[in-house]
Amino acid sequence: MTPARTWARLLFAQWRESRARIAVTVLALALGTAMASAIHLVNRSALDEFEQAARRLAGEADLVVRGSPPGFPEALFAGVARLDGVAIASPVLELTVDGLTVVGLDPFRAAGVQPALFGELAGNLRDFFEPDGIFLSAAAAGQRQLRTGDRMDVLAGTTTRQLRVLGLLDANAYPRPLGVMDIAAAQWQFDRLGLLTRIDVRLEEGASTATVRAAIEALLPAGVVVMTPAIDSQRVASATRAYRTNLGMLALVAVLTGAFLVLTAQALSVLRRRGSLALLRALGVTRRELGRLLVAEGVVVGAIGAAIGVGLGQVIAYWTLRALAGDLGAGQLAVPGGTLAAKPLTWLIFIVTGALVAGLAAWLPAREAAARPPALALKSGDVDAGPAAARPFRVAFALIAAGAGLAFMPSVYGLPLFGYASIAALLFGGVLLVPSVAQGLLRAAPATRAAPLSLAVAQLRGAPAQASLGLAAIIVSFSLMVAMAIMVHSFRESFIDWLDTVLPADMQLRLQQGGNTAALGEREQAVIARQDGVSRAEFRRVVPLLLRPEAAPVTLIAADIDAHTAAQRLAILHAAPLPAGGETAPPVWVSEAMTDLYGVQAGAPLALPLAGREAVFRVAGVYREYGRSGGAVVIPRATYVAATGDRAVNEASLWLARGADPAAVARDLRAALALGDALQLRTTTEVRERSLANFDRAFIVTYALEAIAVLIGLLGVGVTAAATAFARRAEFGMLRHVGLLRRELALMLAGEGLLMSAIGVVFALALGGVLSLVLVYVVNRQSFLWSIDLAIPRLQLALLALALICAAAITTVVSGRAALGGDAVRAVREDW
Amino acid sequence: MHGTRQRALLEVEGLSRRYREDRPPVLAGIDLSLAADEYLAIMGESGVGKSTLLNLIAGLDRPDAGTIRLDGVDITALDDEGATLLRRRQMGFVFQAFHVLPYLTVAQNVALPLDLLGVAAQERAARVAQMLEAVGLAGFAARHPRELSGGELQRVAIARSLVHRPRLVLADEPTGNLDPRTAAQVLALLREQIHANGGAGILITHSVTAARSADRTLALTAHGLVPLPATP
Amino acid sequence: MRAARWPGVLAAVVAASMAAMSAAAAPVPGGSLPGEPQAVVPGYVMAFPRDHGSHPAFRTEWWYATGWLRTPAGEDLGFQITFFRSLQPAAARNPSAFAPHQILIAHAAISDPSRGRLWKDERIARAGFGLAEAREGDAAVWIDDWRLAHPGEVFEVRAPAQDFALELSLRERQPPLLNGEAGFSRKGATPLAASYYYSLPQLEVSGHVVREGRRVAVNGAAWLDHEWSSEPLEPGAVGWDWVSVNLGDGGALMAFRIRDAQGDVRWAGGTLRTGEGGTRHFGPDEIAFTPARRWRSPRTAVEYPVQWDVRAGELAIRLEPLMDDQESDTRRSTGAIYWEGAVRAYDGDREVGRGYLELTGYGEALTLR
Repeated sequence: MTPARTWARLLFAQWRESRARIAVTVLALALGTAMASAIHLVNRSALDEFEQAARRLAGEADLVVRGSPPGFPEALFAGVARLDGVAIASPVLELTVDGLTVVGLDPFRAAGVQPALFGELAGNLRDFFEPDGIFLSAAAAGQRQLRTGDRMDVLAGTTTRQLRVLGLLDANAYPRPLGVMDIAAAQWQFDRLGLLTRIDVRLEEGASTATVRAAIEALLPAGVVVMTPAIDSQRVASATRAYRTNLGMLALVAVLTGAFLVLTAQALSVLRRRGSLALLRALGVTRRELGRLLVAEGVVVGAIGAAIGVGLGQVIAYWTLRALAGDLGAGQLAVPGGTLAAKPLTWLIFIVTGALVAGLAAWLPAREAAARPPALALKSGDVDAGPAAARPFRVAFALIAAGAGLAFMPSVYGLPLFGYASIAALLFGGVLLVPSVAQGLLRAAPATRAAPLSLAVAQLRGAPAQASLGLAAIIVSFSLMVAMAIMVHSFRESFIDWLDTVLPADMQLRLQQGGNTAALGEREQAVIARQDGVSRAEFRRVVPLLLRPEAAPVTLIAADIDAHTAAQRLAILHAAPLPAGGETAPPVWVSEAMTDLYGVQAGAPLALPLAGREAVFRVAGVYREYGRSGGAVVIPRATYVAATGDRAVNEASLWLARGADPAAVARDLRAALALGDALQLRTTTEVRERSLANFDRAFIVTYALEAIAVLIGLLGVGVTAAATAFARRAEFGMLRHVGLLRRELALMLAGEGLLMSAIGVVFALALGGVLSLVLVYVVNRQSFLWSIDLAIPRLQLALLALALICAAAITTVVSGRAALGGDAVRAVREDW
Repeated sequence: MHGTRQRALLEVEGLSRRYREDRPPVLAGIDLSLAADEYLAIMGESGVGKSTLLNLIAGLDRPDAGTIRLDGVDITALDDEGATLLRRRQMGFVFQAFHVLPYLTVAQNVALPLDLLGVAAQERAARVAQMLEAVGLAGFAARHPRELSGGELQRVAIARSLVHRPRLVLADEPTGNLDPRTAAQVLALLREQIHANGGAGILITHSVTAARSADRTLALTAHGLVPLPATP
Repeated sequence: MRAARWPGVLAAVVAASMAAMSAAAAPVPGGSLPGEPQAVVPGYVMAFPRDHGSHPAFRTEWWYATGWLRTPAGEDLGFQITFFRSLQPAAARNPSAFAPHQILIAHAAISDPSRGRLWKDERIARAGFGLAEAREGDAAVWIDDWRLAHPGEVFEVRAPAQDFALELSLRERQPPLLNGEAGFSRKGATPLAASYYYSLPQLEVSGHVVREGRRVAVNGAAWLDHEWSSEPLEPGAVGWDWVSVNLGDGGALMAFRIRDAQGDVRWAGGTLRTGEGGTRHFGPDEIAFTPARRWRSPRTAVEYPVQWDVRAGELAIRLEPLMDDQESDTRRSTGAIYWEGAVRAYDGDREVGRGYLELTGYGEALTLR
């Protein structure tokens, strides 16, 4: 047997001795891994599903021609289909009807592009041509409680149409609510005769994509683009951006909290065994051997913990998906209930990572333990000597400086990766500063006459490293929670201000379906304006406009606005002064996102494809817009009508006459317009409340998962407290001998817990405040493309901090007493 | 032997302690009387109940039968709080493993009993200084325990056990962790300080050499406490 | 294979073509209400080139060219190309340009005995946008780049498929052969079960075929059938046997019979053009199909009579296949398994002609959904 094996035996023999200790370490590791892997799995399965569904519908197209809703002339389809090099051109009309995505296609053409979809329809192909037929995904059918053969009413434009459910699509293939119809039926039923939104193109074998693409481009009117599906999937990415930001942040919370928990558990485990490790050294284990053994032990314990954690994470993820099915992250993404795929490779990666983190966590204290002269380590009272001596100021400050620097880097592929890196760096730097900060604060602690409390202070002053270690996980999770809370609060406050600006009137009128199909003509506009009780009406035409292939369509808002009223109707951030020579081009106002996505600046010209022709405008100002993340352009309605001839509108703000009853006005308007459910009339107060309710709902998940992170952080506190109390049994015994009452001992423990928690929480508050600056000004700005003003939820944070301090103190006392087991007296006689 | 025996400080009568019903008692019918200025050594083999006896006298454990009176107060009748406060005021302890708190300085460790008794800062400082000087650690006040040798640590512990002038010092194998030479010095110091304090002391040990440093020695056997003749 | 990427394409075939068997609604006699198919009645006078063109008011129509080709290397190949048109009354009122008023389907195949292989492919589309059309006035039917048209003297056939292609010119050498009563061809005992049906036999073929990228010149003889109807197959009928033969003496024979589930003949008919140019029409009693040899498909285990003794009036010939395996299995899409291939006609040991044979309903009964 090699010496290493012998030593390993000796080391692992200790495991039998202290099952509880190993169990606590493994538990901590498992929880950390569970948390990180659960978030990852939820994240992955939601995105996978989203992308898979998008890809399945996009199929195997080589090129995609795409225009903004309501669409482009269908003649383009024939033109594209006839081009040399085009094997298949598949016309598609996509629209949203009553919240249901309906895809109208020609199954014969689509067969070459979306064979999977086609295969599912094959059995029912003959029915497919029924002019009122629709195939529903199982999700859509379930949502509306429909079965094959049932009839369903949908709101098409301003009229209700009855469709027949011809069949259901494969539940696994199409987890989202979706309807598939024949293109002719869709055009007819939804008043889109002559229009398409997409043409999927497959090239002939050997045809050059660039050549065909150029040939197609030559056919396209302004506002219609041809792109490769690769770019198309970036649209998916931008559609899920807000969601991913949210989850990205949560994943960061999970990973960092988990990692610190692992680090804490490992480091403590090594620290507490200083004595027995020194014994090994004394017995002849070399420094290097001991280091290796400890790292090996860390890896083994880590692998076990991570394996348990991955299983646990799978369960948590499954449960989360179940519980949250329907809405995760700002309503951006529907999550299919319980369709979590088992991914052995992912499990393996998490287990290996967990093992490596645990090994690394063991390595630092192991190196230090191994380096310690055995004789010294064997002496009692040596538990805290090491780490306190090695206060890594330099590393901490380097990390903080790096974090500050990273915050000024631009986004990567539309994601604030450097922003996240900045947060991580600041967080690590901050945590490394905890022992020093704690010592500084404790030095300033006032002297107390009460012996238990002065003892508590003295204990903390003497052993800050161990106490800080226990606080690392909670500081990480709480400071991130604070940062997130500040960001959400800032967002909410800015959102409320914005709502007040954009909702000036008493009532808001809207046609359903975002103006894709429905519109109010001049007659209806006159009816509204002359309605009894309406003193003034401002109309808006809101239409999507595709400016660039890789981006989602921007929203064009033709409103009753001019250079003088702009400041009252829009939350203007920068206004461009009028050029010296007077107005050159008609003015438009753009949302902040336009400056990021299209590089539009105030005062610069902006070309917009209106009615198939490019028209040039002058950007008179940049305004804040929270309603449309893809960018919005506000244009005076007169200018819009002149360019397009489109006099219809789909939104209006109504000012009521003095004393008019909103309910009565709404009732009369509904009767006068006879648009049925298509007409949405709400008081401004109601719109405001609904908007805020939606806003709050979007962040519930965030808070829930962060709360879990904080609970796991508390567990870190508990682990440390238990470990420390166990190590200090003899000390407690001595104090009881000397005459410390039981309750004084508890008071001492509570004092220690309270003090340390207070320090940790206050530190986390400060750190979270710093991190929130990165979140608000970097992560938020780069991922949502809109700015928000910093606002701190003081009361909320104060209460949260107080609650956490108490929770941490209670955790300390409870775990400490549990570890004590009441038998301190005997411990005095133990000679360790 | 010291002068005439006055009224006894500690009176133990018929003390019995049994941990498990199916086993013979650890202690049975122990009687002991200790004068107010007497330094007594109790010797015994491992496992005869020395520590149990010490715990009972300290009020950390309760007997099944018998009484323990310290200065006329029956410790066995006290609740945990009463016993604790009695220990705080009237007793001092020295342990084999020193149990000097690592996060306190030497002076702070010595001051611990005074802190608990709420002695004013000025008086506390004076008494700690005096005590440190008495145990030969005058220059060590600001040092931390990890800088001290075993003998020095036990001196700190002796200082701590006497700084509040207790009526009784209980020392449990105070030299068990020390080399013979240091042990001899520590024993001498302990004896000297207990006498200087004017109170009583009980030294628990299995070492004959150690026992010799006391005024009187009793052996704890299965039959109770048996006097051993003091050797000159 | 392209076919594998087109699951279900032929589903519409059932609805649309194959003798209009699946339609539910009875046609309106003589009527032409919008969306309602026109009925087939006796007394219609055919005129050309008008009747080469499409008849969109009828429910179903097909142009069916078959023939024998010879390569410079002396290989014999069979070919067939079919364009189906199917009227979809359900779409009649939909004003959308995509409304599937007419569905067009094309099927092409080459029987290649030297490679022991049947090349086949298909196309399907709704008529419209000029991308897929069936024109009236003269033969002009196409789906993207597949086309059968009669722009001038000759019928042009183009079918570039995944790994083969047909590029053929079919030149008439004889006037059209009107089947039945001046083109009114009965398909059952009831007078309503009928179609308009004429044939162009003895077409002279020249052109090219491409197989796996290799293009060779070919020539040969072909037969074009053109038939339109609004009638479903009679209830009880499960399949048919049909043959067309270009006879060596310049004559031509078309014969068919319709079978029920028991294998009994429900109806039969045929037309013979003699070498001298005389025409004879056969009633059900004058046609006899007698199986002489059967072949079992190794893929589907369906047994087909691939060798026949056929009698039409006094004419008796023996049919032998160019190759045994000319089966088309479209069960995954239409549920139909059929045999369609090139045959030689013998009188004793003497080859008297070459033609095409179609056998349906030998697997499961043609269940038409």
